Amino acid sequence: MRCYDTLLGLSGIRVRLRCNLLLAAGLLSLVTNVVAADYLTEIKPLLRERCYACHGALKQKGGLRVDTVEAMRQSKVIVPGDPMASIMIERVSTGELDDRMPPEHEGEPLTPEEVDWLTSWIIADAPAPEDEQLEADPEKHWAFQPIARPPVPPHPNAWVRNPIDAFIAQGHEAKELQPQGEASRLILLRRLSFDLLGLPPTAKAIERCQTDPSPDWYDALVARLLDDPQHGERWARHWMDIWRYSDWWGLNQQLRNSQKHIWHWRDWIVESLNEDAPYDEMVRQMLAADELYPTELSKLRATGFLARNYFIFNRTQWMDETVEHVSKAFLGLTMNCAKCHDHKYDPIEHSDYYRLRAFFEPYHVRTDRIPGEPDLAKDGIPRAFDALLDQPTYRYIRGEEKQPDKSTVMDPGVPELLSFKELEVVPVSLPAEAFQPERRAWVMETLLSTAEELLQAAGSKWDVAVAEANLESIQARVAATRASWTGNGDEAREPAIHAERQLGLVKAQRELALGENSKDENHLKKAKQSLKKAEEKCSAPITAEDTFTPIHGARWSATRFLDSTKDDPPLPFPSQSSGRRSALADWITDRRHPLTARVAVNHLWARHFGKPLVDDVFDFGRNGSPPTHPELLDWLAVELMDHGWSMKHVHRLMVSSATYRMRSSTVGAATQLLRDPDNRHWWRREPLRLESQAVRDTVLTLSGTLDVSMGGPPVPTNQQASSSRRSLYFFHSNNERNLFLTIFDEARVTDCYRREQSVVPQQALALTNSKLILDAAPKIAAELMSGETLSDETFVRKAFQRLLGFTPSAEEVSKSCQALTEWRSLPETTVEAACGHFVWALINHNDFVTLR
Amino acid sequence: MSKSHLHRLSRRRFLADAGMGFTGLALGAMLQREGHARSGVWTPPNGKPHFSPKAKNVIWLFMNGGVSHMESFDPKPMLTKYGGKAISETPFADAQDPKKLALERLVVPDANGNQRNELYPLQVGFKKHGQSGIEVSDWFPHTAKHVDKLAIVRSMWTTDSNHGAQTQFHSGRHRNDGEFPTLGAWVHYGLGSLNDNLPQFISLGKREYWNKRDGHYLGPAHDAVPLRIDPNHPLDFNQPGSPFAPESQAIGRNLIQDLNALRGTEYPKDTTMAARIASYELAFRMQQSVPDIVDFSKESASTKASYGLDQAHSKDFGMQLLAARRFVEEGVRFVQIQYGGGGAGAWDAHGSLRANHAKNALAVDQPVAGLLEDLEQRGLLDETLVVFATEFGRTPGSQGADGRDHHIFGFSVWMAGGGLKGGIVHGSTDEIGFHAVENRHYVTDIHATILRQLGLDSHALEVPGRKRLDIDHGDPITQIIS
Repeated sequence: MRCYDTLLGLSGIRVRLRCNLLLAAGLLSLVTNVVAADYLTEIKPLLRERCYACHGALKQKGGLRVDTVEAMRQSKVIVPGDPMASIMIERVSTGELDDRMPPEHEGEPLTPEEVDWLTSWIIADAPAPEDEQLEADPEKHWAFQPIARPPVPPHPNAWVRNPIDAFIAQGHEAKELQPQGEASRLILLRRLSFDLLGLPPTAKAIERCQTDPSPDWYDALVARLLDDPQHGERWARHWMDIWRYSDWWGLNQQLRNSQKHIWHWRDWIVESLNEDAPYDEMVRQMLAADELYPTELSKLRATGFLARNYFIFNRTQWMDETVEHVSKAFLGLTMNCAKCHDHKYDPIEHSDYYRLRAFFEPYHVRTDRIPGEPDLAKDGIPRAFDALLDQPTYRYIRGEEKQPDKSTVMDPGVPELLSFKELEVVPVSLPAEAFQPERRAWVMETLLSTAEELLQAAGSKWDVAVAEANLESIQARVAATRASWTGNGDEAREPAIHAERQLGLVKAQRELALGENSKDENHLKKAKQSLKKAEEKCSAPITAEDTFTPIHGARWSATRFLDSTKDDPPLPFPSQSSGRRSALADWITDRRHPLTARVAVNHLWARHFGKPLVDDVFDFGRNGSPPTHPELLDWLAVELMDHGWSMKHVHRLMVSSATYRMRSSTVGAATQLLRDPDNRHWWRREPLRLESQAVRDTVLTLSGTLDVSMGGPPVPTNQQASSSRRSLYFFHSNNERNLFLTIFDEARVTDCYRREQSVVPQQALALTNSKLILDAAPKIAAELMSGETLSDETFVRKAFQRLLGFTPSAEEVSKSCQALTEWRSLPETTVEAACGHFVWALINHNDFVTLR
Repeated sequence: MSKSHLHRLSRRRFLADAGMGFTGLALGAMLQREGHARSGVWTPPNGKPHFSPKAKNVIWLFMNGGVSHMESFDPKPMLTKYGGKAISETPFADAQDPKKLALERLVVPDANGNQRNELYPLQVGFKKHGQSGIEVSDWFPHTAKHVDKLAIVRSMWTTDSNHGAQTQFHSGRHRNDGEFPTLGAWVHYGLGSLNDNLPQFISLGKREYWNKRDGHYLGPAHDAVPLRIDPNHPLDFNQPGSPFAPESQAIGRNLIQDLNALRGTEYPKDTTMAARIASYELAFRMQQSVPDIVDFSKESASTKASYGLDQAHSKDFGMQLLAARRFVEEGVRFVQIQYGGGGAGAWDAHGSLRANHAKNALAVDQPVAGLLEDLEQRGLLDETLVVFATEFGRTPGSQGADGRDHHIFGFSVWMAGGGLKGGIVHGSTDEIGFHAVENRHYVTDIHATILRQLGLDSHALEVPGRKRLDIDHGDPITQIIS
């Protein structure tokens, strides 16, 4: 009880807090009645979290709302002063499952402490705040409103460079915040280089920017960087985070997730960004290129977005991931919260989840042959196609796969709230080349030319014989496959069967010949048996049941949904596609869609400015946080759409703003720090930690060893240590990640809407001890000296500028020179070695991994 | 504020994120802890327990592959009595009632993880041990000597009848649900460090289960730091990858910290920079402390022998356990050890169960006994929770001629020390070891028990936007807490 006495002097909140501590310890039941729980800070948040989903603006089950005290009084669920007569207390504390609120499966029961709060508040007459309003209509939620271009605020202010700043300046004025001044040219150059290319500026660029007299130097620099092909690589990596790029993974050699050769999708992203492909078009291609451009291999690469979700064992998990991440990435909607029940915050019904799934229900994954490569194990394009046109989608009761509600088939559809237009699902008739990909000219050509090359290269007598038979067999199969298209296959069928048998015979003959040479009895015996079989086969008459192996232009990625030890029965390539995914893509990219453009510009903003305008980048719903600058967000969204969804346009706007060009320093900003410590109003630049890839790529760039070649298969894990390619190209899956990159918060392939920016000791170990850094440091030092003899001071200044992006102070120079002298005084330490050590130290400087 | 403290705060990024003075922050954290932070203000944990802890450290021993509960800590003589009979012909036919089997959640049908109908006799004998007289199988003679220290839970169940259950035991979630933080990550997130010379969450042994990470949405900072008990290479990037003289490094290290400090003139109050400075100090200390820990030269021959270091079959696991004790002694919070990683896991005895389990028990039994004895002798057992767990049990019925299949409906784990009761059996399976029948516990009840002993309230650790279910939190097994 003494404890209780000493607490009385504290604020109400603290008293409540301590009371519960005591309660938890089972020491006290008396004190709960002493201080009533506060409605606004305790009761209302409790009700909001536990009751509003069914008894608030979203729903009014049983005609009841509990989102104001008045509503609760009127419906008599509470009787002020009399908890015993308050139905609410009875229902939340009852042991009867049938009566309990929240009901079973809808929520956990309230804890005894929570019931105590409610009780204490009712005992104290359930005081209500003045003017309490009912919760706003969910349909009026900001993110669900149509996007209209807001007027740009008037801006008498000289600080403003473009409309972005006009919106930001409004906040400055309202909060009386003086924005920090513009950062130095060096810092701006470094900022832009990393932001737009993911690489540090070159020595030439540093010199140029410091001496360029033109007032347009900045704009010219931005234009140059946006045109650089490395821009596509930089921003591809951002979108790969959001779109969950992953190379394949599984158990040992068995592929279980994603696909082989999925890198074609990565290359498509890089190329599309470099071409400034419109965002809406990119989304359409990723979701439905197979319906929209069924014969364009280059665009089909985009559906790697869907092929990546392949999961060998379980369709529901595959579909769940697809539904969840299509919603989060493109729409900022947490559809996944409606998997088991109606969404608790947004007007999304349980069945909406399955209606969205229905868009994807027909699709499977296959790999198409590409020109010049006959072996799908070596290369090919993994892509989506509709295989199961009539596969029904059912709602799973409480989300349980074992409990489909088979009474109703779920048709593809979107939540009522977002149905701003009639959804038209029109089946697409595919051209023959799409569902019979062997019709693509190169398929046969590649097989034939490869067989011819094999024959050319064959040396020994037997090799020549096999290669000849192989070529003849392929020629016959090609002819027979072609003939089957026209329905006149019968004539070509027999020669094809014959040629295949002949090939088998020649191979068996070769085996025997080789076996005789090797004198291995066992081998010899087997070879004789095989030859006998092959001879029998060859001499047998060809019957109507006999078939040849037709040429295929693509291979279905077999699933094992039915049995983990064997492939499911193969799926055909239908001549139609359901049209569902193109309908979905059409709806998502409709400019009337209130979410798509907002979500996209928020992602762009977050990466340019270090934090987003809407903090929950994948949840624009009612449970997410509202935008700090709603008008700016809408203005940017309209700007994106009005400029043909050009992302480069928005990049240019953002990086050209005064908001972007500010210093990140807090020097001289005591008032701002007090008024807006979180920098919600952008009175300074947010410093960033470089992403994993940028850290490694920077080291390679500075040492002059970066291999700038673009595209192609990923660098396998065991070759990464010696590779100089950009980190973007490293094999990266759930199971295989580069150790150095992982330490710097590599993207999680399962979801990564924002990168972590951790600071952990393993990073220090990687930067101080890795071979990558230790080997690069002397090379960087040599690059800096470029064959000249520099004074310590000049070298130090140059190194600071190049590695850290700023000019050192006199004290920083003197500390550095002192260290150089110390190193040189060590036995066997050359001038070059000392310079290398110094570079090593700067790589470990905080600002090396920081974008100021 | 001490440097280590500063590091801890900064690593959690809470100064930067909360943007409050320390007082506000402390209050925020307190509110969060008590689940009062309903007004929308959320702050990460502050590294302090929520209530008075009974234990400080956890040594987590995980047996990959699935140990037969019937042949380790839950003897079932009825198996021998009815050996060779179909379950449906025995008095226990009711065990296969489809309703009772419904909790299984398949990823995909498989040749394994199926019903095995013909009861398979026990493959090993049992004896009573200790004052408690608890029966332990003859494959664990050394552990059996310490049975009075163990709290054996014989009524575990899980839902994934394939080895995704390995991950499930750590995270509490089925593989089909996605990826979630593991227990060690939650502990690390909630409490962090007792000793800033070492990583606070360490992983030993081959991690080969389907999900190789811990932090997940809590962030990679909460992944276990993988260490090898190899004096030459215990920690990634622990030694310079190319020659670099120590004197040169020392000059450089001083310069780095000097230059970072000078940068503070332009960027005062930069908490990230403060964190980075602290992280370099910790990294430097780790380079010294980690190799020290795995250097066993100062351990006596008898200690080494008690961990089985002198015998080839138990040496590897023994070294990990001895290292674990040394880590715990230095204040490492959570040591997570996987035994028998690789493929499905060493204990996965679909065939030749007798040979398989005898061999694996031989590898772990002596070291486990050594650890329990050593911890007790050093007075560490009171504050250290030792957990001996596995993903599931094995079927009462035979698979093939001489194996047992995966079995999720009932299995055993035990815990010792850390304020738990010793010499106690909690919960039970039915007479053939099929279903947990009395005091049934899902895997997260083990998590909840551990968190309770560490003074953590897992509800208070929830992260905004990452709703956890009741079953994710579990309930502490209060009956085994002393």
